[in-house]
Amino acid sequence: MTSLEDPRQDTAGPREPSAGDAPRAAVLRVRGVTKSFGGAAALKGVDLDLRPGEIHALMGMNGAGKSTLVQIVSGVHQADGGTIEVGGRPQHGMTVRKARRLGISCVPQRRELAMGLTVAENVMLGDLPAKGRIVRWRTVRDGAREALTALGIDIDVDRVAGSLTVAEQTMVEVAREVRRGGRILILDEPTACLGAEAADQIRALVRTLRDEGVAVVYISHYIDEVMAVADRLTVLRDGAVVRTAPARELDPAGLVRAMVGRDIVSRRADRPAPEDEHGLAVQGLNDGRAVRDFSVEVRKGEIVAVLGPAGDAQSRLFDLLSGRRRPDSGTLRVDGRPVPFGRVRASLTSGLRCVTGDRRALGLVPALSVDENLMLAGDRFARRRLHRVAELARRAAPLRESYGVVTLAGNPPVGSLSGGNQQKVLLAKWLQTEPVACFLEDPTNGVDIAAMADIHALVDELASRGVAVLLASSSAEEVMRLADRVVVVSAGRTVAEHAVTDITRDELVATALGGQPQ
Amino acid sequence: MSVKTVPDTPGVCEPPDRPAGPAARLSPGRLRSVPHVGLITVLVLVVVFTAVQSDTFATDRNILNVLGQISVNAVLAAGLTLLMTAGGMDFSMGSNVAVTAAVAAKLIAGGHPTPLAVVVALLLGTALGLVNGLVVTFTDVAPFVVTLATATLLDGVALLVHDGNTLSVGRHMFAFGNEKVLGVPWLLVVAVLILVATALVMRFTVFGRDAFAIGGNEHVARLSGIDVTARKLTLYGLTGLLSGLGGVMLLARLGSSSPGSTAGLSLQLAVVAAVVIGGTSLAGGHGTVVGTALGLVLLGVVANALNLLDFSSNYQSVSVGAVLLVAAVANEMHKARAPH
Repeated sequence: MTSLEDPRQDTAGPREPSAGDAPRAAVLRVRGVTKSFGGAAALKGVDLDLRPGEIHALMGMNGAGKSTLVQIVSGVHQADGGTIEVGGRPQHGMTVRKARRLGISCVPQRRELAMGLTVAENVMLGDLPAKGRIVRWRTVRDGAREALTALGIDIDVDRVAGSLTVAEQTMVEVAREVRRGGRILILDEPTACLGAEAADQIRALVRTLRDEGVAVVYISHYIDEVMAVADRLTVLRDGAVVRTAPARELDPAGLVRAMVGRDIVSRRADRPAPEDEHGLAVQGLNDGRAVRDFSVEVRKGEIVAVLGPAGDAQSRLFDLLSGRRRPDSGTLRVDGRPVPFGRVRASLTSGLRCVTGDRRALGLVPALSVDENLMLAGDRFARRRLHRVAELARRAAPLRESYGVVTLAGNPPVGSLSGGNQQKVLLAKWLQTEPVACFLEDPTNGVDIAAMADIHALVDELASRGVAVLLASSSAEEVMRLADRVVVVSAGRTVAEHAVTDITRDELVATALGGQPQ
Repeated sequence: MSVKTVPDTPGVCEPPDRPAGPAARLSPGRLRSVPHVGLITVLVLVVVFTAVQSDTFATDRNILNVLGQISVNAVLAAGLTLLMTAGGMDFSMGSNVAVTAAVAAKLIAGGHPTPLAVVVALLLGTALGLVNGLVVTFTDVAPFVVTLATATLLDGVALLVHDGNTLSVGRHMFAFGNEKVLGVPWLLVVAVLILVATALVMRFTVFGRDAFAIGGNEHVARLSGIDVTARKLTLYGLTGLLSGLGGVMLLARLGSSSPGSTAGLSLQLAVVAAVVIGGTSLAGGHGTVVGTALGLVLLGVVANALNLLDFSSNYQSVSVGAVLLVAAVANEMHKARAPH
């Protein structure tokens, strides 16, 4: 681990004797912070104490104010009211630069790498080793390699950032922030796009950071993960703190209740038995190293899950099935009819609907309105020629209703919605178009638990309608909740196939982690 | 089950191209959210200033003169607004105008009937646009580069067609270029019709909304079943067709086509300036014809004002550049204030 010792730690203010079990004074103290955007209150008087050497989980639904709070602490936004103390000193007019100087670093939800630069440059960005004004490339590469290997990340430092998968980008960004050091490290959903193994690496890293005295703010939607990793939790709801407590004092159900304000139960639903007819059949699909000899048959009304790490194999399956990319070999049959690869039009006319896991890049047009995004595909299939806003709103209204899309004001650009709502718009856009078969890539990625339960119910309903659903997921819970059968994929190869009733969750996780063919 | 989840950054979300209706009351906050408010303010200031300084400015004759001068630019700018909204770019429209005007002039001067020359000009313009479109859609070369290359190439072709001579069409197209219908010049009527048609297409047809979708996110558009390639070809063909029309209009107005005339890259830059001043995004996904029309009028008025106030014509491009810079900065600030 490099440069984690921070000399500034010594300059922290006088240690106040604090009540309770707090062993050390808070390194960050937030009191009564308020913030509103265009009249809508995002934070309504939030308190937060962050102690050195703790992992402090920040929980809440999409839109509860987690991101806003983090942005205020890291200087992106200025608070409307309230105080922030860092190391015992009140801070006014916080800017990103100032926050950095105070040792606050942040890995945001959206990956922020310079996509044209190499991994090495990205890791060392802003701190390029130079002799005089000449960059010393060897030192840049060595430094970056050291920072990456210290975290157990195996990425060639000479690769260009734009060519990395989302998971790899996350790792590089974490590595960069870790290398810069600091007393307070904010990780905004660091494992949202990572497979189990990579997520474990990140969590191990977070624990190491804590042991070295760093205060870690950990934002995540995964309750189990939070319970496993966090020392203390703060739960936000509608811009206010609902609860701050040591993690051991909360159980998952209580945590959910605190976040949502009511109980959420997403349990396996009873669906009609699948029909005998095959809705979707993939045979011998090969594409480079990402997908190797992949075969699956999905009957109508059946949900088959492909469980594997998020990223390469899943997004490649999306590219292949949607017709964006031609595989090296393989056949695809939808509803018994062969479908040629490599043509979006052919894939769509066959009745196959592919819902991407990357809604920002491949799912939605952020600048267009919610209604227009909802009807983007449907209206094209219906070969409409005229576009009238009122009529569009009338057609979109039942979709908003049945898919639970909630907007504050009328029909805003879809880019301004929360992740959960965007995901529902994306699903509604595709699932309303009378699909025969569906490929869903990580449909609950970056979505809060309430929205997740909604989406699970939508997928159940889809299968009940007799649609063949192929679900790519990186979550064993989700697979156990939704699927009839599961195909475990590791490094592009199928390693196991089970009926969900024949296997327990733990066995499934073990298979996915072990990658041993059975 | 339906669950209320709230957007991450709540705020009043204004559709980008909602026209300033009478419902907008005149409070400063409300006023700032009116589309094109900065542009309208600048335009009003320039108009008032010029009207005070010069008696001739606010006369019918002068106003029609200004609008007549921007007619050719308006036809080109309408097509470019649609194309840029779809994330495309055509730098060769001005040069296309130069070529089509020269070819039409040569045909008419050579004794061919005027309608034939017009049809040839329109077809030629469309063909040139389609060539751009084919190169852009079937290679990954940036539209900016492709059309800059064709622009330079076509400027040269125009010179070759002229072969050093000015080609006069006599009085063959005089009526179209100089006469009026109900007190409005024919050229202006055509320009307004084209602008209105473009605005309607962008707002009320799926073809127009496809342009927004393609410009907003081409991958999503393609995956949603939009035939992006065909749409792009149509759009480039359309800008070509409008360039051909622009060539005919320019020829009718001037009565002749001369080598190194007002068409070419300089015309193109004025058109691009008008579209950008109007707030259409260079990156695609956003654009309004109303903005483009305001941009055209602003540039026309500034040029006219300099003329009336006895500035040297050398200030012409200085003023265009300055207006473009100010407007681009103002647009960016307006965007930054918006909630997302």
